[in-house]
Amino acid sequence: MRAERYAPYILVAPAVLIIVVLRLYPLLLGVNFSFTGDGAQNGTAVGFGNYRELFADPLFQTALKNVGLLVLLLPVAVAIPGLLATFIYLRVPGHRFYRSVYFFPAVLSPVIVGAIFNLLLAFDGPLNAVLGSVGIEPIDWLGDPGIAMFMVVGVHIWATFGMALVVFLAGFATLDPALLDAARVDGASLRQVVWHVIVPSLSRTIQFVFVTTMIGMLTSMFGLLYVMTSGGPEGSTYLPEFYIWKQQGQMNRPALASAASTILFMIMLVVGLLQIKLLERSGKED
Amino acid sequence: MRQRAIWSAVLVVGLALAGCGSASDSGKSTSSDGKLVVWDWKSGEPFAKSYLEKAKADFKKKHADVEVEFVAQPFDQYYTLLGAAIQSGKGPDVMLFNGGGQIRDRVDALVPLDEYVAEDRQRLAGWEAFAKDGKTYAAPVTLQGYPIYYNKEIYRKANLDPATPATTWDKFVADCAAIAKAGSKCFALGNKEGVGIQFWLSSLGSTTLTAAEYDAWIAGKRDWNSANVKRIFQTWKESGDKKMNSDGANSTAMFNDSFALFQSGKAAHVMGLMSDVGHWQDFNEFLTPEKLGVMKAPVVTAGTTPSLPYDGGIGYAVAKWTKDPKVAADLVRSLSSAEALKAFYADAGAIAADTTIDVSQAGPAVGTIVGELKSGKPALHVALSSKTLDLMGRLSQQLLSGSVSVDEVVKQLAASDQAG
Repeated sequence: MRAERYAPYILVAPAVLIIVVLRLYPLLLGVNFSFTGDGAQNGTAVGFGNYRELFADPLFQTALKNVGLLVLLLPVAVAIPGLLATFIYLRVPGHRFYRSVYFFPAVLSPVIVGAIFNLLLAFDGPLNAVLGSVGIEPIDWLGDPGIAMFMVVGVHIWATFGMALVVFLAGFATLDPALLDAARVDGASLRQVVWHVIVPSLSRTIQFVFVTTMIGMLTSMFGLLYVMTSGGPEGSTYLPEFYIWKQQGQMNRPALASAASTILFMIMLVVGLLQIKLLERSGKED
Repeated sequence: MRQRAIWSAVLVVGLALAGCGSASDSGKSTSSDGKLVVWDWKSGEPFAKSYLEKAKADFKKKHADVEVEFVAQPFDQYYTLLGAAIQSGKGPDVMLFNGGGQIRDRVDALVPLDEYVAEDRQRLAGWEAFAKDGKTYAAPVTLQGYPIYYNKEIYRKANLDPATPATTWDKFVADCAAIAKAGSKCFALGNKEGVGIQFWLSSLGSTTLTAAEYDAWIAGKRDWNSANVKRIFQTWKESGDKKMNSDGANSTAMFNDSFALFQSGKAAHVMGLMSDVGHWQDFNEFLTPEKLGVMKAPVVTAGTTPSLPYDGGIGYAVAKWTKDPKVAADLVRSLSSAEALKAFYADAGAIAADTTIDVSQAGPAVGTIVGELKSGKPALHVALSSKTLDLMGRLSQQLLSGSVSVDEVVKQLAASDQAG
């Protein structure tokens, strides 16, 4: 009987062991490493030296500002798949075709997507050629610091909204058609149907898409950034992830990179906790 | 119940051992007795096959009992992987480096090779790029330099004499105007990663800085406020303002987009390389040897003499943690032996560090470059730290877009350079 009492602990032990040894321990090592010096000072304690340097670095400040920009653009990234899923659900002509086309980019690797858009957005590329044919001067889409970040985020949204679309369509599957019928009988316009019936009914789905899209934007834009702009022009498209890679791999500053990683971890933690809170609150309303 | 508990325990132990095993494997030293592990980004390429065979054969003569394993890493992740290996104090015994900042930033993890390579000193060129504080940390395999290539066909179209390219900056700017009139761009420029400015700085260095300023720069005494240093950045800005560069330079990758622009005849000049990419053999498909010219940098500051900027390109170094540095150093020597380098030149087209190799079959451009090696000087940008180069890349993009002044650029670069 005694053995049986220990069985649950023993069964949980492998998972705990793996989490502690392969996740938490390296995480603590990384945090510890961020308080040591690089190069000649390798291993010696420097207190908050790396953090001071980090926050004084205009590049890291740009990276943090860009995180803020991503948060601001998040509603757009959620609204696009939401609206398109709505149209598919409402059976616009050709909806079957669109459903598969919209999902297609989600299966492409970011490197391929980046390469495709590099060609399309090149200064002498097809997009500028089209603009030129209607008399618009060519635009340096990826070479203008005021535009480049929006282009990268736009391409990221294009490449990933297929997944969110599928989640929205799954949400629509749970929607009561009687509500829609009732709204139509009452003479509601499309805008009213979307705003007063679809959005409230899908609130949980929308929140879920918000959470997953935010995580995707903060953690998986590296490949696209690397291929499309390499952090440029003028350092305008840096994100913390790219900054960490650059400091560790190119500048040989692993301790500084660890400090940046720790900051990114804190950002993710705060964003994650806020989102959990949001989900909990909406759960209570249900 | 008892049986279930026993099975649970077996499962736990099994999983834990599997987890530990995989964790410890990744950190295991690759160095062991009788075997040397080499990391590079070349050995996977087809052109390196005969080079490696020659090097291995040479090493076998000295150490028949030592096995050599080459591990080709992807170049874009090479220094990241190497950084992790260095951080853990375990990794390859011998590793490939680019000359300049990449190796100088990591000498703490390397064995000084001076006592082992003394015999090769005279035969090979380009040692300085692998040295720090008077000690040498790698033996050069190729030389890397920044000649200015030009397209003779475009010169003819613009009614310019391909045999006598401009020798002064003012004449060069005038030639560029003629080239623009004939429908081509003057420079193929790729500055997306901010590398274009490095080539520019080094290519025009010898004709903008005085000889004394040049030597002081290489020796680490850089006067960023000097009028001639500022002049280099002014010519860069001027090339942008006068639309001499290919369009969208800040969003064009140097490798291989800008080289493709030059190769396809859309631009008359490119500041290229002499290693195994962005060089005459790369351009050969469209720019046959008779169409391809190599010119000396036009004189910007009166009284200066153009010289070819070059350093050691790539070279092999020995890690501190290797068991027997002498054996590893012997492998480095084999990798830069005359026979091996001959094969590297023949198959990759790179100018090898052994300048005694006969290059007469490779066309006039190669002949010109090799002829310039004797009077050549180390490239200016190679003397700068990775951090300053990175900053210079971003500032050069701002200069092209007009959002910063030359004075501000040299001020920021001076601060970065002094900080280390």
